[in-house]
Amino acid sequence: MTDYEAIIGLETHIQLNTITKVFCSCKADSWFDPPNTNICPVCCGLPGVLPVLNKAVVEKGLLLAHAMNAEIRPISFFDRKNYFYPDLPKGYQVSQFDQSLARGGYLDLPVPASASPEKQAYTRRVTIWKLHIEEDAGKTKVGNKRRFIDFNRCGVPLVEMVTGPDLRTADEAAQYLMRLRQLLRWLGISEADMEKAHLRCDANVSIRVKGDTRLNPKTEIKNVNSIDAVREAIAREIERQIREVEAGRRIEAWTLEWDEDSGTLKKMRSKETEADYRYFREPDLLPIRLNDEWKQQILADFPELPLARRTRFVEQYNLPEYDADILTSERKLSDYYENTVKAYGGDPKKVSNWLMNDVLRMINEQELNPEEMKLTPTSLAEILKLVDAGTININTGKGLLQKVQESGRAPGEIVAQEGLGLVSDDSAIRAVCEEVLAESPNEVASYKAGKVTLIGWFVGGVMKKMRGKADAALARKILEELLH
Amino acid sequence: MSEQITREVFDHLVDLAALQLDEEQAEYLRRQLNNQLKAIAELEAIPIDKDVPISLHGVPFEESASALPRGDDWKPYPDPAGILAQAPQVEDGYIVVPDIPHTELK
Amino acid sequence: MELCDLYALELVRLVRNRETSAVEIVKSCLERISQVDGASGSLENPQITDKDKESVHAFISLTDDAALKQAVEVDRRLAAGEDAGVLAGVPFTVKDIFCVKDTFSTAASKILANFKAPYTATPVKRMQDAGAIMLGKVNLDEFTYGSSNESSAFQPSPRNPWNTSRVPGGSSGGSTASVAAGEAPLSLGTDTAGSIRQPAAFCGVVGVKPTYGRVSRYGLIAFASSLDCPGPVARSVKDAAAMLQVIAGADEHDATAAPLPAPDYLEGIDDGVKGMRIGLSPDYFRITYPDPASGELLSQPLPPEIERAVRDAAEKLAANGAEIIEDVPMPNTRFGIPAYFVISRVEAASNLHRYDGVKFGLRSEVPTLDLKEMYKFTRNQGFGLQPKLRILMGMYVSAAQYSEQYYRRALQVRTLMRRDFEEIFEPNGKYHLDALLTPTTPTTAFEMAAVYGDSVLMQYADQLTVPANHAGVPGISLPAGLDKDGLPIGIQLLGADYAEKTLFRVARAYEMITETEEWRKVKPEVLRGRS
Repeated sequence: MTDYEAIIGLETHIQLNTITKVFCSCKADSWFDPPNTNICPVCCGLPGVLPVLNKAVVEKGLLLAHAMNAEIRPISFFDRKNYFYPDLPKGYQVSQFDQSLARGGYLDLPVPASASPEKQAYTRRVTIWKLHIEEDAGKTKVGNKRRFIDFNRCGVPLVEMVTGPDLRTADEAAQYLMRLRQLLRWLGISEADMEKAHLRCDANVSIRVKGDTRLNPKTEIKNVNSIDAVREAIAREIERQIREVEAGRRIEAWTLEWDEDSGTLKKMRSKETEADYRYFREPDLLPIRLNDEWKQQILADFPELPLARRTRFVEQYNLPEYDADILTSERKLSDYYENTVKAYGGDPKKVSNWLMNDVLRMINEQELNPEEMKLTPTSLAEILKLVDAGTININTGKGLLQKVQESGRAPGEIVAQEGLGLVSDDSAIRAVCEEVLAESPNEVASYKAGKVTLIGWFVGGVMKKMRGKADAALARKILEELLH
Repeated sequence: MSEQITREVFDHLVDLAALQLDEEQAEYLRRQLNNQLKAIAELEAIPIDKDVPISLHGVPFEESASALPRGDDWKPYPDPAGILAQAPQVEDGYIVVPDIPHTELK
Repeated sequence: MELCDLYALELVRLVRNRETSAVEIVKSCLERISQVDGASGSLENPQITDKDKESVHAFISLTDDAALKQAVEVDRRLAAGEDAGVLAGVPFTVKDIFCVKDTFSTAASKILANFKAPYTATPVKRMQDAGAIMLGKVNLDEFTYGSSNESSAFQPSPRNPWNTSRVPGGSSGGSTASVAAGEAPLSLGTDTAGSIRQPAAFCGVVGVKPTYGRVSRYGLIAFASSLDCPGPVARSVKDAAAMLQVIAGADEHDATAAPLPAPDYLEGIDDGVKGMRIGLSPDYFRITYPDPASGELLSQPLPPEIERAVRDAAEKLAANGAEIIEDVPMPNTRFGIPAYFVISRVEAASNLHRYDGVKFGLRSEVPTLDLKEMYKFTRNQGFGLQPKLRILMGMYVSAAQYSEQYYRRALQVRTLMRRDFEEIFEPNGKYHLDALLTPTTPTTAFEMAAVYGDSVLMQYADQLTVPANHAGVPGISLPAGLDKDGLPIGIQLLGADYAEKTLFRVARAYEMITETEEWRKVKPEVLRGRS
């Protein structure tokens, strides 16, 4: 049985989250707008119009290029890619052909054990072959032998990023997209929501016999609208190619369309049968001049990237990978975590536990923005300190989370006002313990007969009577003493 | 001298250009193109040092004479309906065109 | 002399002093138009009558009602003591290659015959903001492709007011014809290979191609994006300067418009040429033309009358204090047309992609369920021969396998032509010229239908003007006498980047020196027999 390996390259189009389009001052985002309402003469390609470059597009493109370790070109050019298509109003797309914003680059992709065929985590270096700015085309709906065109999306700024044929499994492809999505959101340059077409992906797939070094003809998969669909479609295509090759047939360089409903791949007729786009420099635009001053300005606040921070959290805070992964999945949450750790000064793992469970649940349920929460990192740190000090018990602490978030008051203040402090008065607790034991003679008998797990029940009873304010550890100690 | 743009090449260009010509026009245009190529051939005779740079514009666009990219400020266009009104066929706010016949295999 | 025959600056003065009104001026122009223009160009393509053969036909759409309304408004503002603009009350025509809101903006093509622009081109807007009054859209070669104005889809096409059996030149034929015939003192044209200067020479008026990027191209339906220049057409140098003053300057809608403020063009314009260095180049005294039989490109000297006009101008400028420098080399001049065939066609083919019947303009009525067929029917029906020719050549020379051989090479040749100009204008260079004096055209106005079928011959009409487009430098054509057939001869002044002020000064000096010459008293044929 021949061993095959898959060769996968991904072509992504990333919609930048600038306010306006790349060459005109219409809004960039019009997802919810009625058709042909977010348009102007420029993005509709009316006679006589001219493109004017949006500064923010260059800046966001630069952030991505820098994050991908690409080499920034000090001068880059726009080119016209000429072809006829109804949702391309000018009959050409303004893109970048041979002297684009950046060249080269790579991402060291961590592949977790769960996504690895050998169930062992590893890293795959994914090289970047193309990184350039271009404008988006409009949208087309097909129906009843006619096409319905909406120009709202024309001119939306895109960065096209193409990897080398470096990925080897469908899972790796999915991981790449997840990390890319994370990075785009982290940098604040794209919402990267595949379902809203902020992040689009075409996959190039071929197979070869393991050990072979040549590249065989590849097929292109289009119309995959989620990371799961990418994984699924690639996996099926690999299977199909293997079947074909085993049956002695050749793989043709088809373009395939993924049909979400049926979960199958269909052969497409490519929309531009002519491969010659007759690229030439766009004469209506000047070259992009990225001088050092502008570059420094853009990169001045370049953040620590999620994968680097993940490694640092493991090393610096001794967190397990699982924690570090969650706590670096999203930038605001991550900053929140680190700010809490700094304010707390104690065990970062403790902070992690609180954050990953109760606080995260609160954030998700109430759709909170970590940057704007009333439960600030300082407040959370304070709650942890109060629990450490024994001033409140852990349940009270957890209750405080919601109270602080609602009122915005300091935890200490709430504790004092509502009298939430732990009762550590030995005699007070003792009295209640005696009460509980007196009320439960059967359970006492069972305990003495050997059912020692009932201690928890007794502690529960004490806590209930004291409305949770008892120092539970102390209550347990006293009960044990009394039951002895 | 054999003509550079043969009938075959010409027909291909016509197809690329999304045109469709009648016979008379086609022949006239093809002849004109070949005549023009004779003039264009002058370019080949010029001795050009390979490090003569290309000029995308005549004026050099030095920094002082170059407009800067614009700021990311939304300026809604006041009359999108006016643009849509130019379209030959509109339905429910969409511009309507015939479909591209698709061949679906597999 | 009627109001419509006065200079723009004179009209400005009269209006400001309330010696006349904007309405009176517009009425005078409309009256002139009704007398000499004849039928406006239309798609109907009627049989040419004898009257047609004697009319100017500058217009495609005459917007007389709107013009009168604007005139009323200008008068109202002046009466109220408001500032109505530096050109308040001055009528102008607009080459129908510019989008003007709510007017048909046709590019003289069937494919845009029904296109009503939803916005106004920046140069037009600036004229209107300055109080100038648009009379209507004038005819041109379809999409500006031509040097005779004959290729318009709107017929009859304009005729030369000096001799109506002759072409006015092109592509801004309607602009120059309307100004020469006294229909308006000013017109806004465009110059891509000489399309303002050549028809200005043919029609005996002043035409300016500004430096590339001096005037915004926003709203100019594009031919060749790296070559197109909007510019003024006028009957005097000062009028042209005043108009350039209004339309020049940066524009947020055009990334290639230079963010350099325009100097005061009228300031010092009468100062004369004392001490100025004006060059003559042997490369501009020979012309190339394709042999009618073999198509081979031959070279011959300039027609003697035209050469005489240039040398005469040089002598007169010298007599007034200029230093004339002979034998200035411009060795790459003769490659202007070959390079132009490549560069302009590549850009044009691309610029015409958008005319596909989808979102504006003509869509073929032939029913079809196939999008590609719709494209073909529409473009075949909508485009005339000249656009088709340019598109096909553009597709050919921009194909990937030819880009090195043709396009890239042509762009290198452009560098060589640019260097010719840089060297002669370099202040520390051997020649350090203020201006280069050349003929504008290789011939005077030719007969209608005489050249039209031969696209190479027609293109070579631009051989003396096109190098300035490649190099981006400014140029001005001004009338310099009449030939033995009574047809205008134009001379051309070329200058360094953004040196329009210098060119105006030299041109004005020539104008002043020749002010009383006999030829200036001769009127165009269509205006003879008037006081």
